[in-house]
Amino acid sequence: MTISMSNTTFREPAYVDYKDVELIKRSLNEQGKILPRRITNVSAKFQRQLTTAVKRARHMALIPFVSDSLK
Amino acid sequence: MATLQNTYELTYIVNSVISDEQVKDLVARVTTYVSEAGGEIIEVDEWGQRRLAYPIQKKRNGYYVNMYFRSSGVMIPRLERSLEIDDNVLRYMTLRMDSKMLRHYEESKTKQAISYAAEAVAPVNDDEDDD
Repeated sequence: MTISMSNTTFREPAYVDYKDVELIKRSLNEQGKILPRRITNVSAKFQRQLTTAVKRARHMALIPFVSDSLK
Repeated sequence: MATLQNTYELTYIVNSVISDEQVKDLVARVTTYVSEAGGEIIEVDEWGQRRLAYPIQKKRNGYYVNMYFRSSGVMIPRLERSLEIDDNVLRYMTLRMDSKMLRHYEESKTKQAISYAAEAVAPVNDDEDDD
């Protein structure tokens, strides 16, 4: 999976919406785990909001808790 | 008291196994519940049937409804309680919108309006570049 957050064209939004599945999916690995900040180089503020958004999206079954497609 | 109004965002997933009629009924019931309890409906956005990322109560699909309303906070627990009791509501989530969320909501609304207007002026044809 490519590290898509660190590209220069990406602008961190002021509010991370849990409904924005496209954005959230980019910050997860194949297993559905949140990528650490040291990989994605996003700001701490963004990462905090992202964490909340991911948890909300998981609750609403928009993204999986675990996705182990390969076994 | 009860003069303090907040904007809330409520998303819930309806069991899509039941008939369209029943789904419509339930959505109408929730909406009237909010408005009768003194809430002011801003928008009801039905996303429709979607595949769930993981099964909930053995269901693979769900009917998503996303709504925005203004009301006082005292009705939220009552609303959530009624959603909890209803067996056809698989999940729900109420969020109080702070200024940041409101701004985000406004922005997405205007963006949507602009794209609609642009489409009306010049209808976009699905470009198929398969040559």
